[in-house]
Amino acid sequence: MLTQQELEKYLTLCMDSEGDFAEIYEENEFSETIRTLNGKAEKTERAITSGIGIRLYKDLQSVYGYSNETDEASVLALINDLREAVGTAGDKAVEPVRLTRVEYENNNPIRIDFREVSMDDKMAYLLRAYQAAKDYDSRIVKVRADMLNVHQEVQISTSEGRLIGDTRVRTRIYVDAFSQEDGVLQSGGFYPGGGKGLEFYEDDTTPEEAAREAARVAIVKLHAKDCPSGKMPVVIDNAFGGVIFHESCGHALEATSVAKNQSVFSGKFGTQIANPCVSAVDDGTIPNAWGSQNIDDEGNFQQRRQLIKDGVLTSYMIDRLNSRRMGMEPTGSGRRQSYRFEPTSRMSNTYICPGKDSFESLFEGIEKGLYAKKMGGGSVNPQTGEFNFSVMEGYLIENGKITDPVKGAALIGSGAEILMNIDKVSDNLARGQGMCGSLSGSIPTDVGQPAIRVSSITVGGTAQ
Amino acid sequence: MNADKWIARAHEIGLDELEIYEQHETEREVSWFEGKVDSFVTSRILGTSLRATLGGKIAEISLEQTDDGMMDSVLESLKEQAETVTGTETICLRKPQDTVPVQNSRTFTRPSMDQIRSAMQETEKKILAADPRIFMVSEIEWQDTKTSVQITNSLGLHVEDAGAAQVFVAGCAARQDDQVKNDYCIRVVEDIEKLDIDDFVKELTEGVLGKLGGTSVPTGSYKVILEKKAMTSLFSAMIPMFSGEDIGKGISPLAGKLGQQIFSDKITVVDDPRCLDALNVRNYDDEGCPTRRKVLVDKGVFSCMLHDTKSSMAAGTESTGNGFKHSYTSPVHITPYNCCILPGERTLDELCAEMGEGIVITSFAGLHAGIDHVTADFSLQCAGYYVKNGVKDHSVTLITAAGNFFDMMKNVTETASDLEWSYRTITCPSVAFRSLSISGT
Repeated sequence: MLTQQELEKYLTLCMDSEGDFAEIYEENEFSETIRTLNGKAEKTERAITSGIGIRLYKDLQSVYGYSNETDEASVLALINDLREAVGTAGDKAVEPVRLTRVEYENNNPIRIDFREVSMDDKMAYLLRAYQAAKDYDSRIVKVRADMLNVHQEVQISTSEGRLIGDTRVRTRIYVDAFSQEDGVLQSGGFYPGGGKGLEFYEDDTTPEEAAREAARVAIVKLHAKDCPSGKMPVVIDNAFGGVIFHESCGHALEATSVAKNQSVFSGKFGTQIANPCVSAVDDGTIPNAWGSQNIDDEGNFQQRRQLIKDGVLTSYMIDRLNSRRMGMEPTGSGRRQSYRFEPTSRMSNTYICPGKDSFESLFEGIEKGLYAKKMGGGSVNPQTGEFNFSVMEGYLIENGKITDPVKGAALIGSGAEILMNIDKVSDNLARGQGMCGSLSGSIPTDVGQPAIRVSSITVGGTAQ
Repeated sequence: MNADKWIARAHEIGLDELEIYEQHETEREVSWFEGKVDSFVTSRILGTSLRATLGGKIAEISLEQTDDGMMDSVLESLKEQAETVTGTETICLRKPQDTVPVQNSRTFTRPSMDQIRSAMQETEKKILAADPRIFMVSEIEWQDTKTSVQITNSLGLHVEDAGAAQVFVAGCAARQDDQVKNDYCIRVVEDIEKLDIDDFVKELTEGVLGKLGGTSVPTGSYKVILEKKAMTSLFSAMIPMFSGEDIGKGISPLAGKLGQQIFSDKITVVDDPRCLDALNVRNYDDEGCPTRRKVLVDKGVFSCMLHDTKSSMAAGTESTGNGFKHSYTSPVHITPYNCCILPGERTLDELCAEMGEGIVITSFAGLHAGIDHVTADFSLQCAGYYVKNGVKDHSVTLITAAGNFFDMMKNVTETASDLEWSYRTITCPSVAFRSLSISGT
């Protein structure tokens, strides 16, 4: 990391321009991936990422430059490119920037630092996963188990005099189990993770639990029928089921699209956008969660944001630049994949709050519908609100009962419509982990919800 | 970095082989919003990736800086990583091979900021003037990049490759009644002074206006044409099935199907990193293996899978020169480069006329999630237009198309003549199908 003296010099030089705000983001990251197939280590990859991103604002205009060369000559050349782009100051008097370091209590402490654990010991977690998946059912013929570990240090300094840092550690296990019967091959996956050290595999989800869940899905899919098509009621279970809110509504509540009136929820602050049974939160402060940080990537403290309260839109997720455009305070939502990305507003751990309905009551009165037990991923067009996502494990609902497993289902619709169509929310809140892609790269986010019922949604499948 | 010094030290600490991959990249991005430059991004990156082998096992690490002070810790890390590998497959780095490189004749003239501003201003004005239903220019962006790659290894290999691109992007949104639709358009621009802005705006605005008034269709089985962009996106999402590594491990749906009829005999797939019609050519892959033209599917018959060095050694064959990296931070991954379905002879309009009644799908969404890569089953959100009496009747939205990719590709009736490369490394012409399951109302 650059010294405080160097940062003050560079920030002062940045402000010797037509810019009215400057920020320097520094990052050092060490990451490691171990890939195994059938209990054998196939590949190990490590990456040491280190670079700097400098940003200047002039009113609503932003200029951003990044480099992995952090010697003085390179940084000065980068700053000069940015000053030229934003406009040089002429005879403007420039106050020297003086930084004050902001200290705080770490909300995401870890116990077992993966960098201090041998490769053999890390491999042992993956071998446990392999064995558990194989032991689950004799029809499990292949098991892929990978582990990702990341240790990221960031430091952010601004022309407003703020100097603050954060250390983010996360780990994730990816288990894919392949089942085979009568020549048919199917797969199931489970990918839990957390903002933790390797204690995650003892305290939260053991490799065995991850493997058995992947194997269970792979076995269920062996006898899944083609999914029916058409509009029908759908019960979406908890945890990664929350991807429906993430895709259909979360992205459209990010200032990235709201500020430029490119969201279906632009101008809807304070209005009823969802059924009153729906409340939703984006909370970057959950200790050691997959999407948590102490500070966002603009140096602001992470927050708990009540996005929707009883169906009413109560907060957007706002980064620093878009806060200017919107005339609202930033909400600590400026995130980025790395120094190569300019930050913008992003989700952290986003979930629908628990409701009052029992899980069983969600199925009552459904003559023909779909129970989406496990969701795959999805995507949304924030401007039109149209979203789609895939169902990894689904079942038919017939006369209020869960019956046969089905495969190949997709759910599509528009975000504004689905929020109104959620008519029951149960009380079994859980979260699942994912990687979210958007303008500022791929970042870890939790999605979550209790089981919910959507009264009508288009299901795409192959059966008529 | 001093390659000789690192290679010598690698041998001293017991590594068998060392490869040094260096990538230099410069990039400039300018975006425009509501009458002025919205953001400007500039970057200069020199990144390095090292691969080492020990007893036939490989390890990989990527670095931003490579000063000699970190040499021992980096090489020791590689040794520890290689010693962890317990898989039975082995790999050795590539020896130098003779090849006659080809060169793309494309030259890019780097525009000044004033030229970029002027083109953006004119584009914005013309988009907004095109039709009163267009209420927003959501993005206008310029991007120019230059990349060069240098690969050196302890077996005496030293190769270099380079690429460049300049693209102009614009997106806009239109409203009719309460329905909002958006679209975008991308052009590769060799010289911004020669960019035909009128033609660019016409393509963009016709695209977005054509989506307005869209309705769903009743659930059922329809004759379908996948327009070239939709076909390209679906085929690109399916292309990992050609990976020799996944086929060897039995987790690709193409496992055990070499030599079999997998698609209709109307379909031939070619991968040619040296294709001069594409944006860039690669004479070597990112392991230093010379690239070459391969026919992956010959009139529907699966004739060639893609290999990098490791998968080819496991299969007892030669690498096809498809070991590419997304960047120096990514591992080598089996990837097609300049891969296409060969075009037919008739236009998309002629295919629509032949179809008579059916649906033309112009876009898919959620391709990263809606495909089962083990079975090749898919269920995807899509949009397009309905064809009646051989011509476009009305636009169609919020429907899904579902099926099995192989079943669908055996149902091809014809490929159109409209293949274009633009900025892509995988591309397809429009393709007509006898039937596909569509879910709507």
